Amino acid sequence: MNWTFKGDENEALDALFRAYREACPDPEASANFMPELWRRIDERQRSVFFMGRWARALVTAAAVLSMGMAAYLYIPRGHRSVFSVESYVEALSAGHSQDADLPEPALDEL
Amino acid sequence: MLVEFEVIKRAQAGDAPAFNEIVLAYRKRTLGTIARLISRPEDVEDVGQEVFLRLYFSLDQLRTAEVFEPWLYRLTVNAAYDYLRKHRRRMESRMSDLSEQQVMLADAMAGGRVDHDVRQRKQISEAVDAMLSQVSEADRILLTLKEVEGLSLKELEKIYRVKENALKVRLFRARQRVLKAFGEENREPSTKGAAKAEI
Repeated sequence: MNWTFKGDENEALDALFRAYREACPDPEASANFMPELWRRIDERQRSVFFMGRWARALVTAAAVLSMGMAAYLYIPRGHRSVFSVESYVEALSAGHSQDADLPEPALDEL
Repeated sequence: MLVEFEVIKRAQAGDAPAFNEIVLAYRKRTLGTIARLISRPEDVEDVGQEVFLRLYFSLDQLRTAEVFEPWLYRLTVNAAYDYLRKHRRRMESRMSDLSEQQVMLADAMAGGRVDHDVRQRKQISEAVDAMLSQVSEADRILLTLKEVEGLSLKELEKIYRVKENALKVRLFRARQRVLKAFGEENREPSTKGAAKAEI
Protein backbone atom coordinates (compact mmCIF):
# COMPACT_ATOMS: atom_id res chain seq x y z
CA MET A 1 0.00 0.00 0.00
CA ASN A 2 1.18 3.49 -0.76
CA TRP A 3 -0.25 7.00 -0.65
CA THR A 4 0.06 9.99 -2.91
CA PHE A 5 -0.93 13.62 -3.01
CA LYS A 6 -3.94 14.24 -5.19
CA GLY A 7 -3.94 17.31 -7.41
CA ASP A 8 -1.65 20.23 -6.62
CA GLU A 9 1.32 19.01 -4.63
CA ASN A 10 1.75 22.30 -2.83
CA GLU A 11 -1.84 22.37 -1.63
CA ALA A 12 -1.51 18.80 -0.47
CA LEU A 13 1.66 19.64 1.41
CA ASP A 14 -0.12 22.57 3.08
CA ALA A 15 -2.96 20.24 4.06
CA LEU A 16 -0.50 17.74 5.47
CA PHE A 17 1.23 20.43 7.51
CA ARG A 18 -2.14 21.63 8.85
CA ALA A 19 -3.03 18.09 9.81
CA TYR A 20 0.36 17.79 11.49
CA ARG A 21 -0.28 20.97 13.49
CA GLU A 22 -3.61 19.57 14.68
CA ALA A 23 -2.07 16.20 15.40
CA CYS A 24 0.63 17.70 17.62
CA PRO A 25 -0.93 19.94 20.27
CA ASP A 26 1.24 21.85 22.73
CA PRO A 27 2.31 19.38 25.44
CA GLU A 28 1.95 20.08 29.14
CA ALA A 29 5.14 20.36 31.13
CA SER A 30 5.79 17.88 33.91
CA ALA A 31 5.78 18.92 37.57
CA ASN A 32 9.56 18.60 37.54
CA PHE A 33 10.06 21.21 34.85
CA MET A 34 10.62 24.28 37.03
CA PRO A 35 12.75 22.61 39.76
CA GLU A 36 14.94 21.04 37.09
CA LEU A 37 15.23 24.36 35.25
CA TRP A 38 16.36 26.15 38.41
CA ARG A 39 18.79 23.36 39.20
CA ARG A 40 20.36 23.83 35.77
CA ILE A 41 20.44 27.61 36.21
CA ASP A 42 22.20 27.25 39.58
CA GLU A 43 24.64 24.75 38.13
CA ARG A 44 25.47 27.07 35.23
CA GLN A 45 25.83 30.03 37.56
CA ARG A 46 28.29 28.10 39.71
CA SER A 47 30.37 27.07 36.72
CA VAL A 48 30.31 30.66 35.38
CA PHE A 49 31.39 31.90 38.82
CA PHE A 50 34.30 29.45 39.05
CA MET A 51 35.35 30.16 35.47
CA GLY A 52 35.28 33.86 36.30
CA ARG A 53 37.48 33.30 39.32
CA TRP A 54 39.90 31.21 37.27
CA ALA A 55 39.97 33.84 34.56
CA ARG A 56 40.68 36.60 37.09
CA ALA A 57 43.42 34.51 38.71
CA LEU A 58 44.99 33.84 35.32
CA VAL A 59 44.87 37.51 34.36
CA THR A 60 46.48 38.49 37.66
CA ALA A 61 49.20 35.85 37.26
CA ALA A 62 49.87 36.99 33.69
CA ALA A 63 50.09 40.62 34.79
CA VAL A 64 52.52 39.77 37.61
CA LEU A 65 54.62 37.67 35.25
CA SER A 66 54.70 40.46 32.67
CA MET A 67 55.78 42.99 35.27
CA GLY A 68 58.50 40.62 36.50
CA MET A 69 59.77 40.11 32.96
CA ALA A 70 59.73 43.84 32.33
CA ALA A 71 61.68 44.48 35.53
CA TYR A 72 64.17 41.78 34.61
CA LEU A 73 64.76 43.30 31.17
CA TYR A 74 64.88 46.96 32.15
CA ILE A 75 66.82 47.02 35.41
CA PRO A 76 70.59 47.34 34.61
CA ARG A 77 72.67 44.46 35.86
CA GLY A 78 76.30 45.38 36.77
CA HIS A 79 77.89 47.77 34.24
CA ARG A 80 76.06 46.50 31.22
CA SER A 81 72.50 46.79 30.24
CA VAL A 82 70.83 44.75 27.58
CA PHE A 83 70.27 48.05 25.81
CA SER A 84 73.50 49.80 24.81
CA VAL A 85 73.72 53.51 25.50
CA GLU A 86 76.81 53.84 23.27
CA SER A 87 76.60 55.47 19.89
CA TYR A 88 77.32 53.40 16.80
CA VAL A 89 80.77 55.00 16.36
CA GLU A 90 81.65 54.32 20.00
CA ALA A 91 80.63 50.73 19.60
CA LEU A 92 82.75 50.38 16.45
CA SER A 93 85.68 51.98 18.15
CA ALA A 94 85.40 49.68 21.12
CA GLY A 95 85.15 46.71 18.81
CA HIS A 96 88.22 47.86 16.91
CA SER A 97 90.28 48.22 20.09
CA GLN A 98 89.24 44.74 21.12
CA ASP A 99 90.35 43.45 17.71
CA ALA A 100 93.73 45.10 18.25
CA ASP A 101 94.30 43.01 21.34
CA LEU A 102 93.96 39.80 19.35
CA PRO A 103 97.23 38.12 18.43
CA GLU A 104 98.16 38.07 14.75
CA PRO A 105 97.45 34.76 13.07
CA ALA A 106 100.52 32.62 12.64
CA LEU A 107 100.79 32.67 8.86
CA ASP A 108 103.44 30.00 8.68
CA GLU A 109 101.03 27.52 10.20
CA LEU A 110 98.44 27.98 7.39
CA MET B 1 3.00 39.58 24.57
CA LEU B 2 1.95 37.09 27.22
CA VAL B 3 3.73 39.07 29.95
CA GLU B 4 4.19 42.78 30.62
CA PHE B 5 7.56 44.28 29.78
CA GLU B 6 7.71 45.36 33.41
CA VAL B 7 7.94 41.68 34.38
CA ILE B 8 10.78 41.17 31.93
CA LYS B 9 12.57 44.19 33.39
CA ARG B 10 12.23 42.73 36.88
CA ALA B 11 13.58 39.40 35.62
CA GLN B 12 16.48 41.27 34.03
CA ALA B 13 17.24 42.73 37.45
CA GLY B 14 17.48 39.18 38.85
CA ASP B 15 13.96 38.81 40.25
CA ALA B 16 13.38 35.03 40.29
CA PRO B 17 9.55 35.18 40.64
CA ALA B 18 9.42 37.45 37.59
CA PHE B 19 11.49 34.97 35.62
CA ASN B 20 9.19 32.18 36.77
CA GLU B 21 6.25 34.21 35.51
CA ILE B 22 7.84 34.50 32.07
CA VAL B 23 8.58 30.77 31.96
CA LEU B 24 5.06 29.86 33.01
CA ALA B 25 3.57 32.21 30.41
CA TYR B 26 5.63 30.90 27.48
CA ARG B 27 6.35 27.34 28.55
CA LYS B 28 3.46 25.56 26.87
CA ARG B 29 3.83 27.36 23.57
CA THR B 30 7.59 26.88 23.57
CA LEU B 31 7.31 23.18 24.37
CA GLY B 32 4.76 22.81 21.56
CA THR B 33 7.09 24.45 19.07
CA ILE B 34 9.99 22.27 20.22
CA ALA B 35 7.84 19.14 20.03
CA ARG B 36 7.01 19.87 16.40
CA LEU B 37 10.58 20.86 15.56
CA ILE B 38 12.39 17.87 17.02
CA SER B 39 9.69 15.17 17.02
CA ARG B 40 11.11 13.42 20.06
CA PRO B 41 8.54 13.72 22.87
CA GLU B 42 10.94 12.32 25.46
CA ASP B 43 13.45 15.12 24.83
CA VAL B 44 11.05 18.06 24.56
CA GLU B 45 11.35 19.12 28.20
CA ASP B 46 15.11 18.89 28.13
CA VAL B 47 15.33 21.17 25.08
CA GLY B 48 12.69 23.44 26.62
CA GLN B 49 14.78 23.83 29.76
CA GLU B 50 17.79 24.61 27.61
CA VAL B 51 15.78 27.39 25.90
CA PHE B 52 14.78 28.99 29.20
CA LEU B 53 18.30 28.51 30.55
CA ARG B 54 19.65 30.47 27.59
CA LEU B 55 16.91 33.03 28.12
CA TYR B 56 17.92 33.47 31.75
CA PHE B 57 21.56 34.12 30.91
CA SER B 58 20.90 36.42 27.98
CA LEU B 59 17.92 38.35 29.31
CA ASP B 60 20.05 41.36 30.18
CA GLN B 61 20.75 41.90 26.47
CA LEU B 62 17.09 42.56 25.73
CA ARG B 63 16.36 46.27 25.26
CA THR B 64 12.82 46.55 23.89
CA ALA B 65 9.60 44.69 24.55
CA GLU B 66 8.63 44.10 20.94
CA VAL B 67 11.66 41.94 20.19
CA PHE B 68 11.09 39.60 23.14
CA GLU B 69 8.91 37.05 21.37
CA PRO B 70 10.97 36.82 18.16
CA TRP B 71 14.01 36.56 20.39
CA LEU B 72 12.49 33.70 22.39
CA TYR B 73 11.65 32.01 19.08
CA ARG B 74 15.25 32.44 18.00
CA LEU B 75 16.47 30.82 21.21
CA THR B 76 13.98 28.00 20.63
CA VAL B 77 15.09 27.53 17.04
CA ASN B 78 18.76 27.54 18.01
CA ALA B 79 18.24 25.00 20.78
CA ALA B 80 16.20 22.78 18.45
CA TYR B 81 18.82 23.15 15.75
CA ASP B 82 21.59 22.14 18.17
CA TYR B 83 19.53 19.15 19.27
CA LEU B 84 18.79 18.05 15.71
CA ARG B 85 22.43 18.31 14.69
CA LYS B 86 23.46 16.28 17.70
CA HIS B 87 20.87 13.60 16.97
CA ARG B 88 21.14 13.58 13.20
CA ARG B 89 22.34 10.00 13.06
CA ARG B 90 19.31 8.81 14.97
CA MET B 91 17.04 10.74 12.64
CA GLU B 92 18.70 9.29 9.56
CA SER B 93 18.11 5.80 10.79
CA ARG B 94 14.40 6.57 10.69
CA MET B 95 14.44 7.62 7.03
CA SER B 96 14.31 4.06 5.90
CA ASP B 97 10.98 3.77 7.66
CA LEU B 98 9.33 6.39 5.44
CA SER B 99 7.47 4.02 3.19
CA GLU B 100 6.22 2.20 6.21
CA GLN B 101 5.04 5.47 7.71
CA GLN B 102 3.22 6.30 4.51
CA VAL B 103 1.53 2.97 4.58
CA MET B 104 0.47 3.58 8.15
CA LEU B 105 -0.88 7.01 7.26
CA ALA B 106 -2.89 5.58 4.41
CA ASP B 107 -4.18 2.93 6.71
CA ALA B 108 -5.14 5.55 9.27
CA MET B 109 -6.92 7.65 6.69
CA ALA B 110 -8.83 4.72 5.31
CA GLY B 111 -9.57 3.14 8.66
CA GLY B 112 -12.69 3.46 10.76
CA ARG B 113 -11.67 1.88 13.98
CA VAL B 114 -12.47 2.86 17.55
CA ASP B 115 -9.16 4.59 18.21
CA HIS B 116 -9.16 6.13 14.77
CA ASP B 117 -8.39 9.71 15.80
CA VAL B 118 -5.57 8.87 18.15
CA ARG B 119 -3.94 6.55 15.69
CA GLN B 120 -4.42 8.97 12.84
CA ARG B 121 -2.79 11.81 14.76
CA LYS B 122 0.14 9.60 15.63
CA GLN B 123 0.52 8.39 12.10
CA ILE B 124 0.25 11.83 10.52
CA SER B 125 2.85 13.01 12.98
CA GLU B 126 5.18 10.13 12.18
CA ALA B 127 4.71 10.50 8.44
CA VAL B 128 5.51 14.24 8.51
CA ASP B 129 8.49 13.62 10.80
CA ALA B 130 9.80 11.02 8.41
CA MET B 131 9.25 13.34 5.44
CA LEU B 132 10.99 16.25 7.13
CA SER B 133 13.85 14.04 8.26
CA GLN B 134 14.86 13.80 4.62
CA VAL B 135 15.77 17.48 4.37
CA SER B 136 18.33 19.50 6.30
CA GLU B 137 17.74 20.73 9.84
CA ALA B 138 17.58 24.29 8.51
CA ASP B 139 14.86 23.41 5.98
CA ARG B 140 12.95 21.42 8.55
CA ILE B 141 12.97 24.25 11.08
CA LEU B 142 12.10 26.95 8.56
CA LEU B 143 9.21 24.94 7.12
CA THR B 144 7.91 23.99 10.54
CA LEU B 145 7.94 27.59 11.75
CA LYS B 146 6.19 28.84 8.63
CA GLU B 147 3.82 26.05 7.74
CA VAL B 148 3.12 24.37 11.04
CA GLU B 149 3.61 27.11 13.62
CA GLY B 150 1.99 29.56 11.23
CA LEU B 151 4.50 32.37 11.71
CA SER B 152 4.26 35.22 9.24
CA LEU B 153 7.11 36.29 7.00
CA LYS B 154 7.45 39.44 9.12
CA GLU B 155 7.89 37.34 12.24
CA LEU B 156 10.36 35.09 10.48
CA GLU B 157 12.28 38.18 9.35
CA LYS B 158 12.81 39.12 12.98
CA ILE B 159 13.81 35.59 13.96
CA TYR B 160 16.21 34.97 11.10
CA ARG B 161 17.29 38.60 10.63
CA VAL B 162 17.06 38.31 6.87
CA LYS B 163 14.96 40.15 4.29
CA GLU B 164 11.52 38.90 3.32
CA ASN B 165 12.58 38.14 -0.24
CA ALA B 166 15.48 36.01 0.90
CA LEU B 167 13.12 34.14 3.21
CA LYS B 168 10.65 33.54 0.38
CA VAL B 169 13.43 32.05 -1.72
CA ARG B 170 14.59 29.83 1.14
CA LEU B 171 11.05 28.71 1.85
CA PHE B 172 10.39 27.95 -1.79
CA ARG B 173 13.57 25.90 -2.04
CA ALA B 174 12.83 24.08 1.21
CA ARG B 175 9.36 23.16 -0.05
CA GLN B 176 10.82 21.99 -3.33
CA ARG B 177 13.29 19.79 -1.52
CA VAL B 178 10.55 18.28 0.63
CA LEU B 179 8.35 17.64 -2.39
CA LYS B 180 11.28 16.20 -4.30
CA ALA B 181 12.26 13.91 -1.43
CA PHE B 182 8.67 12.86 -1.06
CA GLY B 183 8.27 12.32 -4.80
CA GLU B 184 11.40 10.20 -4.97
CA GLU B 185 10.10 8.00 -2.21
CA ASN B 186 6.82 7.60 -4.04
CA ARG B 187 8.45 6.83 -7.36
CA GLU B 188 10.29 3.89 -5.86
CA PRO B 189 8.62 0.63 -6.84
CA SER B 190 6.35 -0.34 -4.03
CA THR B 191 6.56 -3.88 -2.83
CA LYS B 192 3.93 -3.37 -0.22
CA GLY B 193 0.86 -3.43 -2.42
CA ALA B 194 -0.95 -1.39 -4.99
CA ALA B 195 -3.64 0.42 -3.08
CA LYS B 196 -3.26 4.17 -2.77
CA ALA B 197 -4.67 6.60 -0.27
CA GLU B 198 -5.17 10.22 -1.19
CA ILE B 199 -5.27 13.46 0.71
